[in-house]
Amino acid sequence: MTHPAIQITNLDKSFGAGFKKYRALTELSLSIDQGEVFGFLGPNGAGKSTTIKLLLNFLKPDSGSLMVMGHAVGQEEFRQRIGYLSEFPFFYEHLTARETLLLSGRLSGMDRRSIDQRIPMLLARMNLAEATDRRVGGFSKGMKQRLGMANALIHDPEVVIFDEPMSGLDPVGRHQIKRLIAELKQEGKTIFFSSHILSDIEALCDRIGVIHKGVLLYSGGLGEFLAEGNGLEDRFVKLIEEADHASAA
Amino acid sequence: MQALRNIWFLALATCTEGIRHRALWAIVCLAALLTMANLGVTNLYSWDLGKVSVEFGLSAVAFTGLLLVFFLGMKILADDLERSRIFLVLSRPVSIGQYLVGKYLGLGMILLLATIILGLSATLSMRYVLWKYPAYVPPDFSWLVYVMALTCQWLSLMVVLAASVLCFSFASQPFIALLLAVSVYMVGQNMELLRRVVLENPQAGALSGQENLVIALSWIFPNLSFFDKKYAAAYGLAFSGQEFLLLCLYAISYSALLLFFSAILFKRKELA
Repeated sequence: MTHPAIQITNLDKSFGAGFKKYRALTELSLSIDQGEVFGFLGPNGAGKSTTIKLLLNFLKPDSGSLMVMGHAVGQEEFRQRIGYLSEFPFFYEHLTARETLLLSGRLSGMDRRSIDQRIPMLLARMNLAEATDRRVGGFSKGMKQRLGMANALIHDPEVVIFDEPMSGLDPVGRHQIKRLIAELKQEGKTIFFSSHILSDIEALCDRIGVIHKGVLLYSGGLGEFLAEGNGLEDRFVKLIEEADHASAA
Repeated sequence: MQALRNIWFLALATCTEGIRHRALWAIVCLAALLTMANLGVTNLYSWDLGKVSVEFGLSAVAFTGLLLVFFLGMKILADDLERSRIFLVLSRPVSIGQYLVGKYLGLGMILLLATIILGLSATLSMRYVLWKYPAYVPPDFSWLVYVMALTCQWLSLMVVLAASVLCFSFASQPFIALLLAVSVYMVGQNMELLRRVVLENPQAGALSGQENLVIALSWIFPNLSFFDKKYAAAYGLAFSGQEFLLLCLYAISYSALLLFFSAILFKRKELA
C-alpha cells in the first residue's frame, strides 16, 4: 500500500506565552501524494515556513501529527529520505562547495564513492562546476541558492522540501531553479515548496495549498482553483480578502 | 557506528572551518608574539628568571586558549543558530547530541592545535632564557612535567569549552551564554580556594556554617585550579603520572556530563 509522501493532520502551533501568545498554525491538515509537485502559497507571515520547520522537526507542534513517507515526525528517523532547502541557505563560509556537499553526503550516511560520483554531477547540473573548490563565503546569492539545491539533492531523496526557493533571485537564477524543479518532477520526486511568487506556482505545481494567518484556506488542484477566478493572482487575492473580511466580522 | 561517523565528520568540518577563520590566526599570532615577549619580560627580573620564563610561557598559552574558547568557539556555535546553519546539519539524520559532541570535538581540535603551536613557541623562548641564564634553571626542572602541565592547560580549556556549550544550549542570546561561560570559568578558577577557606576557617565571614553548600557547589562547578600546574613545571615540583591520569579522567567525565546535559537542554530549544 502506498502512503502519502507528506501527511499533516490537525496541526496546531503557537509561539510565546500569556498575552504575547501568537497562534501560528490552526488545525492545519494536508496530504501530498508521492510524485506530486505541491505549491504552498500564502502571504508573508502566513505560516509557510513554520509548517516546513515542523515537518523537519526543528519545531515541536502543540498538537496534531506529521508523517513523511509513512514515518512519524519526531518519533522515527525519516531525514535520509528528504532533501531540504531553506529560504536563506547559509553555509559554513570557509568550506568549499565540494567540502559542503561532502559533509552533507557523509551525514546522510552515503559512502565516499557515491558522494564523489554525485558531487561533480550535481555541481555541473547547477552550473557550479567552476566553483567546486571555491569557498562558499565568496558565492553570490544565486550561487548559494543553487548550492543549496545541490545540497538538498546530494543523497538523492524521494521528497524535496524547498522554502521560498526563488526568493531574492534574478530572472536567470529563477529560471534555472524552475527548470530544475521541472526536471525533478520528471524524475518522479515529490516536491513540496512554499512561495508567494504566483507565476512560479502556476508554472510548476500539480496541486496547491493556500494558507493565511495560520489557517488553510484552500487545498486542491491548481486547475480547480483557477476555474473560479480570473487568473491565479486575482483568485488568490480574492480568497485572502474573503478570509480577512470573515475574521473581521 | 553511523553516530560516531557523524560526530567525526562534524568535528572535522568544524575544525576545518575554524582553522580557516582569520580570527584564529590573529589570536595565535598575537599569542606567539606574547610568548616571545617572554624574552623581554624575564629580563625585568633579577632572580628566578627560569621560573618566571616557564610561568609566563604557560600563562600565555592559557590566556590565548581562553580567548579562543570565548570568542572563536562561542562565535562558531552562535553563528550556527543565528545564521540558521544548524538547519544544514539537522535536516540530515543527525541527533542534537551528535551535533553538540561533533562541534565540541572540532573546537577541541582547534584548541589542541593552538596549544601545540603556542606551546612550541613558549618552549623556544624558554629554552633561550634557560640557555642564556643557566644559573637560573629551576632545580629538578623537567621538560616532561612541562608537557604534562601544557596538556593540563588544554584539558582545562576543554572543560571550559564544555561549560560554554552547556551555557549555549539553554541561553536565549549568545551574549548571555558568553557571560555565563565567563562566570563559570571565574568560579571554577576560585572554587578550590573558596572550599578550603570555608572548610579550614570557622571565621569565613558570610559563608561560615555553610560548609555543605560550598562542598555541593564545588561538586557542581568545574574545579579548574586542579589543572593549573604552572607552579609544578616552574618550580620543579612533583607531578605524578597517577595525578595526571586522574586529571584526564576528571576532565573527560566532567565534560561528558556537561555535554549530556547540553543535549537534553538543547532538545527543548525551538529552532525557529
